[in-house]
Amino acid sequence: MIDINKERALVMHIDLNSAFATAEQQAHPSLRGKPMGVTNRLSKECCVIAASYEAKRLGIKVGMRRSEALAICPGFVLLETDPPKYNAVYQKLIVIMRSYSPKIKMKSIDEGIIDFHGLGPVLAGRTLQDIGYEIKQRVKDEIGDWMTINIGIGTNRFLAKQAAGWHKPDGLDTIDHTNLLAYYKQMKLTDLNGIAERNEARLNALGIMTPLDFINAGEMILKKQVFRSITGTYWYQRLRGYEIDDNDTHLGMVGRQWVVKDPSHKDSYLLPCLSFLCETTGMKLRYREVEARGVCVWASYQNGEFWQSKRMHKSTFYTNQEIYRRALELFNQRPAGTVRTMGIYCYMLTPSQRSQLSMFDDIAKKDWLTKAVDEINDFYGTFTVYAGTSLEGKKIIKQKIPFGGTEYFELLLKTG
Amino acid sequence: MDPTIRIDQIVDVVPIFRGHATEVNVCVPWKMRYGIHEIVFTTFGMRHPTVKGKRMVHVFDMSDGVNDYRLEFDAERLIWRLISMVEGAS
Repeated sequence: MIDINKERALVMHIDLNSAFATAEQQAHPSLRGKPMGVTNRLSKECCVIAASYEAKRLGIKVGMRRSEALAICPGFVLLETDPPKYNAVYQKLIVIMRSYSPKIKMKSIDEGIIDFHGLGPVLAGRTLQDIGYEIKQRVKDEIGDWMTINIGIGTNRFLAKQAAGWHKPDGLDTIDHTNLLAYYKQMKLTDLNGIAERNEARLNALGIMTPLDFINAGEMILKKQVFRSITGTYWYQRLRGYEIDDNDTHLGMVGRQWVVKDPSHKDSYLLPCLSFLCETTGMKLRYREVEARGVCVWASYQNGEFWQSKRMHKSTFYTNQEIYRRALELFNQRPAGTVRTMGIYCYMLTPSQRSQLSMFDDIAKKDWLTKAVDEINDFYGTFTVYAGTSLEGKKIIKQKIPFGGTEYFELLLKTG
Repeated sequence: MDPTIRIDQIVDVVPIFRGHATEVNVCVPWKMRYGIHEIVFTTFGMRHPTVKGKRMVHVFDMSDGVNDYRLEFDAERLIWRLISMVEGAS
């Protein structure tokens, strides 16, 4: 007998279907019902970062090159991303979700969780399925009639997300103790969120070939033999519907990476870009109100080689100039070669001490200058004032839509 | 391919402000004069605010049933600008 969480399913996962593509179809009625997609920067070989359901049905996938998509469908339409548009959708979705529970958590721009635990009186006898259908209608009324969402309901975040992906698009499903095993029976291991090829191989090595085998596996086997860490225990509980993912992530590093537009070995091309990456990293540090002690610079090369260099400093730093100076020292030591991707991140983060007055005049001056520049940029738009060393870099590097967290979305929008 | 045609011109617009509508429909452009053409909007796509520094610009995506139009209303200078259009022939 498998121990399954038998409590009422009170976690709801909401997922906007093909969010960016659907938002564009909402805004462009002439594109509705047609295969179309969205890319960060239109170019001959750009990638599809979101595809409409009509495009997906034809076999056009996220990550596919434009030329590949056009080979499948010559009429495929590709638009450039429009962050303010997606932010409007995101903000409206938050308003709708918050009207049901104060306990909401956005997992990314297009998906979030509503936790209904402790809200029995608010539900007033209504089921979560009723509320789910109401949210679907509100999304159409308050965001747009073309917008559709998937809703999943489960006893924990994992099962709610699985349920949201069960019947796409526009589905609403519940997974609880009554149908959990029947659900797992239909699925493959890689259908489970968090199980990709490598984890699948680990499980297969121990004879675990299906989700049913997975849930039947003992905790000690998962912990000691499959994952060889506490991750095994987490999976043991997660699969059974017990909540173990309700925790805030710790901010460990802040940085920025960039796929070099025209791979190059020239300092005259790469250094302004590095300076620009440092500017955006500095903005993020101050936005999160932290200071860093460590800086790491890395690059991957056209020949497949990878290089990185990191250094810890005695004092903390947060200004763009300090980050660039430290990063430049490291970057100048890189091996020769054509750089394909480069990045910088700051680590060993501590809460900002900027409110404390400095005893040293030069430090205070740097802080005043940074404050003044930040205020100007906040008022007139980001990158109104920036370092001369970033001048060329700003022309080359385009701000991207953040796919993972939504922490910097507000910051990105100020760039407009 | 991108079917967007960049225009970026100030245009004359007749908007409707509804006093008792939902937030989505509180203001919608109704007609626009672009060159010698008078375009009547039949479908409302989306409205979203965009900040340009501290300036607020409202972006309206509208359609006349054939083509899609992106209009920006500068709430500070009270100017309507036709930013782009998407031809939707097929």
